[in-house]
Amino acid sequence: MTETDDKAGQPAILIDPIDMSKLDSGFRSEIKNMPDGDEINACFACSTCTAACPIANVWKYKPHQLIRMILLGMREEVLSSEEIWLCLTCFQCQERCPQKVRVTDIFFDCKNLAAEEGKIPENIKGLARELVENGQLYQVTADWEREDMGLEPEVPGLSTDGIKAILKGTRTGKITGGEE
Amino acid sequence: MPTYNLYMGCSVPANYPNYEAAMIKVAEAFGMDFDYMEGVACCGSPNLRAIDHMGWLTVNARTLAIGDKNGHDIVTPCNGCFASLKDAYHLLKHDKEYVQKVNKILKKEGLEFKGAAKPRHFVEALYTDVGIDEIKKKVTKPLDGVGIAIHYGCHVTRPHDVTEFDPVILQELVQATGATVIDYPLWKQCCGATVLPVNEGIAIRLARDKLKSMKDAGAVFVTVVCPACGNQLDLQQLGLKESYGEEYNLPVLFYPQILGLTMGLDEDAVGLSMNRVAAGPILNHLAE
Repeated sequence: MTETDDKAGQPAILIDPIDMSKLDSGFRSEIKNMPDGDEINACFACSTCTAACPIANVWKYKPHQLIRMILLGMREEVLSSEEIWLCLTCFQCQERCPQKVRVTDIFFDCKNLAAEEGKIPENIKGLARELVENGQLYQVTADWEREDMGLEPEVPGLSTDGIKAILKGTRTGKITGGEE
Repeated sequence: MPTYNLYMGCSVPANYPNYEAAMIKVAEAFGMDFDYMEGVACCGSPNLRAIDHMGWLTVNARTLAIGDKNGHDIVTPCNGCFASLKDAYHLLKHDKEYVQKVNKILKKEGLEFKGAAKPRHFVEALYTDVGIDEIKKKVTKPLDGVGIAIHYGCHVTRPHDVTEFDPVILQELVQATGATVIDYPLWKQCCGATVLPVNEGIAIRLARDKLKSMKDAGAVFVTVVCPACGNQLDLQQLGLKESYGEEYNLPVLFYPQILGLTMGLDEDAVGLSMNRVAAGPILNHLAE
């Protein structure tokens, strides 16, 4: 209605134009070469993944847009996005993709790339610390509850040395060791 | 009945000894021989997979390799552990390069991933190896057709090419106890547990939507097979009175608790008092 009045202003578009100079054309092959990226080029942006996602309503970038952004090379935007960490990992998007794109798995790959650059939500970093220091996310505190149930107070066979040793030598060690 | 490697993970033994004990008692009654695995700990959860794929893969390959020492299948009562182990197993079965990488690390401990011990969810082993007919024979105090809503949980069912778990298993297992399975619209939806560390509001909304969908469809009880889902649907219900001003009063039971009760175990034997929303009313639905 107001088209004629706005003639001199910005054109009416839904999203900002993509700055071509900031695109990383290698990003799609970087993802394609990760464990779950094989089919990413097959995405035809039907947005079935977005329709399947129970929380896409609160995502600024919807699942199908994130996949498109990977294909376009918007590496910085994808790896800095809050959405990859909000992913429920419920696999509804992936299960329904008609093109067999492993959408949820690809978001796992993105999180790994973000983590390599140190972009990790604080609470997730806390869980990493828990794993390196204690070898477990939960520890038995109420052993009397176990005894009430006729179970050994300590979990039979439990040994955390192996997992702690492994994680000290991988990225988890780097993430948790590099601070303070 | 075969012997199994029992992988408990960290959450069930620490938070839900009622689930652990009920599972072991039920398994024993069917002659499933469960041996706690030696030298294992946490699977790392999907959070570890998100930040450190190689660390997550190696940790789970290590558990699989410990299972390979005797070659018995690995059973677990936790969807998170099942997903981690099955996902790692699937990747290693399809990618020899990863097998070489993890085995190079595992060699230091004298371990090797061979892929002989298959990771399985407890309810799938119960369904496949014991079977509905044998289970029905031991149900001496069947339920009176009361409506139970099933929440499978995402990580036991999807992605299907990895999990190989068919979402009919719990339906038949619940029906074997004499209960009616309640069909509800959001049966596939996530409980919200995974997003809890990043955004509590979304996590609570998902749990609430799920409970509302179950209740509206006529569920009287809920059953789960995962400690994280149990936590979301049971414990979070108490908080919904405050956050949403809604009260669902839907008792959430781990499947082996329900089966155990219908097999004649008493409420203490399945740790019914540890369920947060009072689960006692289920006793009124058992045959005398």
